[in-house]
Amino acid sequence: MAAWLGDLYWTYQNVVVALGVNGLLALSMYVVLAAGQLSLGQAAFMGLGAYSSALMTLTLGWPFWIVLPASCVAPVAFALAVGGPTLRLSGVYLAIATIGLGEVLRAVYLNVDALGGALGLSGIPEQASPGVIFAVLAAALAVLWLVGRSGTGRAMEALREDATAAQAMGIDVGRVRLAVLVASAVLAGLAGALSAHATDFIGPNDFGFEPAVTILSFALLGGIGSPFGPVLGAWVLTLLPEVFRGFADLRLVLDGLVIVLAVLFLPRGLLAWRMPRKAA
Amino acid sequence: MLRRRIALAAAVLAMLAVPAHAGDPVPVGAVEILSGPNAAYGIAIKAGLDLALEAVNAKGVLGGRPLSLTVEDSGGTKDGAINAVRKLIGRDKVAAIIGPTLSNEMFAAGPVANGRGVPIIGTSTTAKGITDIGPFVFRTSLPEADVIPVTLKKAIARGVKTIALLYANDDAFSKSGFDSMKAAAEAAGLSIVAIDSFGSKDTDFSAQLTKIKSLKPDAVAISALVEPVSGVLLQARQLGFGKETLFIGGNGSNSPKLGQIAGAAADGLIVGSPWFVAKPDKLNTAFVAAFRAKYGKDPDQFAAQAYDTLLILAEAIDRAGDADPTKIRDALLKTDHTGPLGPFRFTDHRDPASTEGVVVLEMRGGAFGIAQ
Amino acid sequence: MLAQQLVNGILLGATYALFALGFTLMFGVLRVINLVYGFYFTAGAFVALWLTQAGFPLVLALPAAAVGAGAIAVVLDAVLLTRLRRTKADELSSLMVTLGAVLALYAGMAAWLGPDIRRLRPGLVGSGALDLWGLRVTVAQLLILAASGVLVGALLWLVRGTRLGLAIRAMAEKPDAAALMGINTAGLAATVSFISGALAGAGGVLIGLNFNAIHPYMGEQMMLRGFVVVIVGGLGDIFGALLAGLLLGVVEVLTAGYLASGLKEAVGFAILVAVLWTRPAGLFGRTDVRRA
Repeated sequence: MAAWLGDLYWTYQNVVVALGVNGLLALSMYVVLAAGQLSLGQAAFMGLGAYSSALMTLTLGWPFWIVLPASCVAPVAFALAVGGPTLRLSGVYLAIATIGLGEVLRAVYLNVDALGGALGLSGIPEQASPGVIFAVLAAALAVLWLVGRSGTGRAMEALREDATAAQAMGIDVGRVRLAVLVASAVLAGLAGALSAHATDFIGPNDFGFEPAVTILSFALLGGIGSPFGPVLGAWVLTLLPEVFRGFADLRLVLDGLVIVLAVLFLPRGLLAWRMPRKAA
Repeated sequence: MLRRRIALAAAVLAMLAVPAHAGDPVPVGAVEILSGPNAAYGIAIKAGLDLALEAVNAKGVLGGRPLSLTVEDSGGTKDGAINAVRKLIGRDKVAAIIGPTLSNEMFAAGPVANGRGVPIIGTSTTAKGITDIGPFVFRTSLPEADVIPVTLKKAIARGVKTIALLYANDDAFSKSGFDSMKAAAEAAGLSIVAIDSFGSKDTDFSAQLTKIKSLKPDAVAISALVEPVSGVLLQARQLGFGKETLFIGGNGSNSPKLGQIAGAAADGLIVGSPWFVAKPDKLNTAFVAAFRAKYGKDPDQFAAQAYDTLLILAEAIDRAGDADPTKIRDALLKTDHTGPLGPFRFTDHRDPASTEGVVVLEMRGGAFGIAQ
Repeated sequence: MLAQQLVNGILLGATYALFALGFTLMFGVLRVINLVYGFYFTAGAFVALWLTQAGFPLVLALPAAAVGAGAIAVVLDAVLLTRLRRTKADELSSLMVTLGAVLALYAGMAAWLGPDIRRLRPGLVGSGALDLWGLRVTVAQLLILAASGVLVGALLWLVRGTRLGLAIRAMAEKPDAAALMGINTAGLAATVSFISGALAGAGGVLIGLNFNAIHPYMGEQMMLRGFVVVIVGGLGDIFGALLAGLLLGVVEVLTAGYLASGLKEAVGFAILVAVLWTRPAGLFGRTDVRRA
């Protein structure tokens, strides 16, 4: 590689990493939305993945190929704990319970010295190369694509359109909803582990309420007709602030407007393309 | 007409033909918060840097080459700081970087510059462990651990024996300041009667203050940014804290905003500062006068630290004899500089070597003066 | 110390209850978790700030702020929610729209005005504390306590004892049937938005006065507490919101005073999650405002 090209890549490496990680986060929101639920805990799940993986690397010294899959354990456990009781209720309860989860976890990170408190955890080795991150993203896309085309995908869509009718058709609503929440926790946990091992440092304020809303805007901009939409949405919203410098003040304004406009006028998102399905 | 054009073209060619080094600017970078909630700090720092740049470029470095300073906005976020450092090194090919503004940003961005072998110098990062990041990470800001003991000495001289500690537990700066306060209080033999925390965006501190008041400590030390410190002081007065309790601030309290927001409630608070606007020595008065002339207002400690840091960097580049990052790093370690902050050297661990410049200030009638 | 801490808790709880009243009313009648509510709170505080800076006394600035916030609520509600109401979109759509809108509004306001904390002119109400039998309270705190009680009473009277209340209850029960019976549901929705917005605005002024801290994100910070209050009190339950607000305030203060101050923020959410697990209709068991 020519030296200037190497420099160019090095300069934007962190942006490349962010594209991969945010793509995974958008997918984690997509699976929940695709089944007609709303979780605002994606950032909290990501934080669980990031913190648990960082501890496994820093204090237990486990190799990265064990740490990465193990980073899903804590997010899944919390998804079951929060999701189990709330999924019986209407969707707004899950949304509010997941906001609560994020705040409780933040207090835990801040008050437990082993988690670094406000200083966070630093010195995490950079083991997640962009290659690894995009391989995980591609694998996630492939799995979601296959699931989307299968009977499960149809069940999720039926649930989104009309939960009562779906139940009448014999779909176990509670089970699909819980499965979907667990899948989204896995994806967010992976994203957290990858991001922690790509940037050296994580802190308790990286996983709060605003990142959760930003993740929602990724998915809504892209649309939930297929898993590719949310990833595209994440990429657009990740690159925009890089293209327009000095934009930091208005980034959240844009994220918010994207959500409003998408729900009101573009219910199918930017990429209003629905994936083809095999006949039942 | 034609002849003139040829002459012009020749002049342009002559300019292009100048050997690559002689007049070329030496690129250095800075990463500061210029937008978002904490922009005030970055804007003050940039003002100090710009003023210092004028002073440096009056004669240039390395025998007359100008210093060119690129300031990138981090927006106060970890990703913003990393991206800015990568851009400065990868695209602008800077020889050294000043910043970033916050300790958390440094923990994220410092390893990037360090890994690439480019010196990075914090001017406002006071948390513990900053220079542990690696051999290319420096700071000119005195860590809280060096300032607090000086402040506590003053408090003990006034008869303080028991102390309560109160801090914001959700930002690195405040937490690290508290850790230093606790260590310093223990080292000074003070008896710590209570340790309490709050969130830096909280507005209600009544529970913590009521508890502390019931324990009747001689002093209450607060580690937080200036806004919550003001809120704590206002509510403390409402809950009946009087002159018998000495309030002690950390570096976050060292801001003129404290008097503006808290007014009389802040009276009597003491705080240690690496710098003071009314410090009477010649270099400082000249700096303050130049700053007032350029910006029409008084500099704060962040501007002063940034100003001195760019001068320190320019001198190091001169000593290095070359705009090579590794040579600049080695030259920085040999710094022997005197500026508005007073005499300055680095320790072997790249922290400031001396606390001589620390003055203890006391809030009186809404403004800081030297504590008696 | 315990007596003072209980007083601290009740006064803090009164601010939470005051904040949550309009929020729970809005959900009870309009079936919308309207997160823009936090912005009405901020807007009310800023209107009062500007008016008092211009020299108006508080007795004028407070009602003006309430009316201003109410008007903003009517406009934003129409812009954001009319379309969704017409298409009978689900609760999640309206939750997402208001979530996006409130984020954009806070960030836009912070970009416009700066994120700095502003203070009301000193001396609007007596800033010193009163010493009542050894307990210290400020005038602003007493105002909030009184306002919470009066407003809860007024709201309950409005919903139960007036013709407007009858229409509101009809609409909360079955919007379609109410429309068929000749109730102007669009006008009624605007009325309820106005009342909620005005409550939020008045709360913003009083709470801004109490903590003497007004900034664009003040509504967002209260909103997190607001969730806890309306869920624990029962979504749409006005009296439940009052009880839950006071409970949250007392629990937070006792946690900070006797357990660990670092847990003060988390304890509310722990209660929230526990209530969702065990008694999702709210701690006080009444399902919602339709029976207010």
